Amino acid sequence: MDVNDKIHAQLVKAGVRLAASLPDDWVNGLINKVEQDNTIRHVRVGREAETICICAGAFFGGVRSVAIFGNTGLLTCTGEMATLCLRHAIPVFCIVSGRGSIDDHKVYQEVQGRRTIPLLQAYDYPYKIIDKEEEIEDIPNAYEWHRLQKRPFVLFLTKKLLGTNA
Amino acid sequence: MKANECMRVLAKHRGDAVVVCALGMAANEWWAVTKSEDSFYMHGAMGFAASFALGLALSIPDTPVWVLNSDGSLCMNTGCLLTEAGQQPRNLKHFVVDNQCYQTVETMPMVNQDGADYAVMARGAGIQQATTIDNLAELDRRMPEIVAAPGPYFIRLRIEAEPDYQRAPPATYEGPEMKYRFGRAMEKKLGIKVFGPRGF
Repeated sequence: MDVNDKIHAQLVKAGVRLAASLPDDWVNGLINKVEQDNTIRHVRVGREAETICICAGAFFGGVRSVAIFGNTGLLTCTGEMATLCLRHAIPVFCIVSGRGSIDDHKVYQEVQGRRTIPLLQAYDYPYKIIDKEEEIEDIPNAYEWHRLQKRPFVLFLTKKLLGTNA
Repeated sequence: MKANECMRVLAKHRGDAVVVCALGMAANEWWAVTKSEDSFYMHGAMGFAASFALGLALSIPDTPVWVLNSDGSLCMNTGCLLTEAGQQPRNLKHFVVDNQCYQTVETMPMVNQDGADYAVMARGAGIQQATTIDNLAELDRRMPEIVAAPGPYFIRLRIEAEPDYQRAPPATYEGPEMKYRFGRAMEKKLGIKVFGPRGF
């Protein structure tokens, strides 16, 4: 069972039945796991903010959902997260690649690495960084907690956790 | 046709549909006509009512879902047509109220005003059923067929800009109250659980 299998298994344990995603090479493995699971409706989108609003809609259908995308996309959809989810107190569970970390040397990820956390803190969006495999088991707890928080929640997956060379 | 008249015809044919309204004129006019609480009136995320409605539609596949989108909102997120086409939700009808202006901000002109055909764009994105209706008689006549047809179905409603328009006021509740009223309405209407036993 690889790390994406373990994350997928914990999402299933949390009751997730819908996933909306936009690729990033760090989270593509997880997206593929979700795509292969017939119990999860997978929605491919063309812009990350769609994932936020699709998951918000699913909330009102009584369906637990997850938005999966890259850190760059997180920066692009903070407006929708604020004006829909904060405005109406709607929880949305996001899994995001923790790009721009000290072990990520892509020039196009540099700003994300420095500014994402301060941005989340400015909006008061809760987050958790998962760096070790044993922390993956925290996902169902995190899912329940984010519903209580009634706002977007971001679970970052690190390069160390994913073991990616990208 | 005028927006208010158009909404009255839609309301007449609504049946059991759950409705998601794009923020601004579409939401205000639907509220003015229906006062319905099993409708969600977006107060933000301009452009993404269609995405919200898609997520809802996929979650309650046996219930008809309508999105009352607007031309300004569609222009802000035309990619929603591709996502919708990719899912082919059989219970979703996508209406776009098209007056070629930003009605709630002093009727400023729409981008590429009168130069775009949104129904053609929808068809090009992969929504095979896409049409334009520009008068009340045709809307009233065609609604039974639109309601009965499996989705996705994209309907461009060409309405008049109303420059002297007295803005319809928005719904009388907002923010978290909108969440709980709509969520409780979904629970009551569909017999589902939106909120847990402790209310969140």
